Amino acid sequence: MRNSLWGALAAGAAASFIGLSAIAADTVKIGLIAEITGPNAEAGTYTINGARLAVEDINRKGGILGKQVELVIEDNQSTNPGTVLAFSKLGGNKDIPAIIGPIRSTQIQAASPSIAKLGIPTMIGGTDPSLTKVNNRWVFRCRPNDLYSSKVIANFGVNKLKLKKWVIVHSTDAFGSGGAKALGDALKDNGVEPVLVQGYTNNSQDFTPVVLAIKKSGADVIGTYMTNSQDLGIFAKQLRQLGVTATWIGSPSIVTDTAMKLAGDSLYGTYGIADFNPDANAAAKSYAIAYRAKYKLEPDVYSSWAFDAMHVIATALNTAKSHKAEDIRKAIVGIKGWKGVEGTYDFDDNGDGLRGYNIVKNDAGKVKYVEHIDFNK
Amino acid sequence: MEALANNFQVLFQGLALGSIYALVALGFVLIIRATNVVNFAQGDFAMLGAYLMVAFLVGAGLPYWISFLLALVAMGVFGLVFNYGVYYPLRHRGFLPVIISTLGASIFLQNSVLAIFGAQPKRLDNVIQGGIHIGSVFLDSQYLVILAVTMVMVAFQYFFFEHTLLGKKLQATSQDKDMARLLGIPVALMIAITFIYSSMLGGLAGVLVGPVLFVSIGMGSIIALKAFAATIIGGFGDVKGAIVGGIFIGVVESFAAYYISVPYKDAYAFLMLFLVLIFRPQGFFGERVSEKA
Repeated sequence: MRNSLWGALAAGAAASFIGLSAIAADTVKIGLIAEITGPNAEAGTYTINGARLAVEDINRKGGILGKQVELVIEDNQSTNPGTVLAFSKLGGNKDIPAIIGPIRSTQIQAASPSIAKLGIPTMIGGTDPSLTKVNNRWVFRCRPNDLYSSKVIANFGVNKLKLKKWVIVHSTDAFGSGGAKALGDALKDNGVEPVLVQGYTNNSQDFTPVVLAIKKSGADVIGTYMTNSQDLGIFAKQLRQLGVTATWIGSPSIVTDTAMKLAGDSLYGTYGIADFNPDANAAAKSYAIAYRAKYKLEPDVYSSWAFDAMHVIATALNTAKSHKAEDIRKAIVGIKGWKGVEGTYDFDDNGDGLRGYNIVKNDAGKVKYVEHIDFNK
Repeated sequence: MEALANNFQVLFQGLALGSIYALVALGFVLIIRATNVVNFAQGDFAMLGAYLMVAFLVGAGLPYWISFLLALVAMGVFGLVFNYGVYYPLRHRGFLPVIISTLGASIFLQNSVLAIFGAQPKRLDNVIQGGIHIGSVFLDSQYLVILAVTMVMVAFQYFFFEHTLLGKKLQATSQDKDMARLLGIPVALMIAITFIYSSMLGGLAGVLVGPVLFVSIGMGSIIALKAFAATIIGGFGDVKGAIVGGIFIGVVESFAAYYISVPYKDAYAFLMLFLVLIFRPQGFFGERVSEKA
């Protein structure tokens, strides 16, 4: 009696196992590495949301090469070692032709050697320019990199707003000084020499000397690369208190939720740059409607880039008509003029797909889309 | 005219931030005097006070003054817990174990607050909105409140220690514990009171500076570093010195940032520290160690 029970159970398990693998063979599996646990778990949820929405979209339109798409999700615990581990897990699964990797540059840096060794085409969301220039043929970026942020700030301020007296305010850390240098170069390309370049160390408690220097310079526009939202908030408050009314165009930190909450009305009327905005283009608009309807949440960059990444993979696989890595790479690099949520994708040989940012404006506490600026390769 | 206005603006900011350093430095000094140890969690008292204010005012939606009183009372209770949890068990073990214990408490506090409130910095509004414009000079109302409260606290401090029996008992305890014990002063209780008072003082500094610097996990460490330099510049363990030292650092770094260079602002406080240690090692008001024995 007992034996037959075990036998029945074993037979059942075997049957369901066979059943499962039969289904599995009928789907195309795409890996997704997301921050499911750890300090960035909130962002990870959005990334999964975005990728799932894309999968539904693709499956409704017939899937990839006639097969339905299935996501295989691995947690990276919001850490670098977790990311490396997640890649080796997904890499061990021979059914996975492509992976959607993390959005953080540091995690991608850590996993880059593994990705190169595995040779699986991987979509990334990190914006450190060097990520696609480290001799790794298998990473493809679905966001603009930081080189373009300074170009967009300079171009918008000089050519659209017609402002020529520039002040650059920047944090003295790697991000801030790198950004300030790039912005200085971009301004020179537009024939403008900044009247003042002012650094400060992170966690400055008082920006009075900076604000007084800006006042004295008589600048009509301020470009900033500020790292911490507290610094941005203190600077914004003191700038307005001491009566500086110059236009302000900031790196993406100026339109983050935290900075806008801290600084309140001191940031009203300022401009910032953002790679995703729900009003930026037709694809973004319909994406925002679908996302809000499905998740009852506001879409953001964590979900939008994953949505685009999943579509890029599907497009590439459909064009390549093969699961071979070399064929997929050729198909991705061949994507030109594909209209995604974050902009129009033109992949280059390095694997960079986007070259532009949206300009947005803080309109009484609401982020309003102004325009999209793109650069050619 | 404009130069004068700018100098006045810079002086005002320096005085206000210096007052915050002074309040935190005062907390340092009182504990040094009572226990002979530096409390490295003193800055986190300010951070904790500011977060308690956020919890009562923004979280629970209580009126300003009730939140303020609740935050101070909570800081007092916390000071007592700190005394019995961090200092008391190690009181006979020399100063090093106690210092390590306060360092551990600092790490514990920062991570507990991180776990409860999250990493996003919080906003606190000014006690009184706005400020005063005099020509091109702007006096932020919160900075004015900070200056006023510091002056009141200095006066209170003087009155309390020189003119009340409890204050005199606390002074006696800090000067000579054995003698105080012989005179029937409950030394352990006096030390507990010192911790309660220092904790409330730190919390007060945090509540005052929260609207200016915003409320973040790291806010205490930044202030404490300057306040610690202030206690040494003023004279290690000297109450007057802590106040003068704090305001001195605030004003010097403000002017140096304006006239010399902004990115090196944090360095000036420590440059002052080096200069004082070289030319007047006992600090502005300190007694020479040889004389103290």
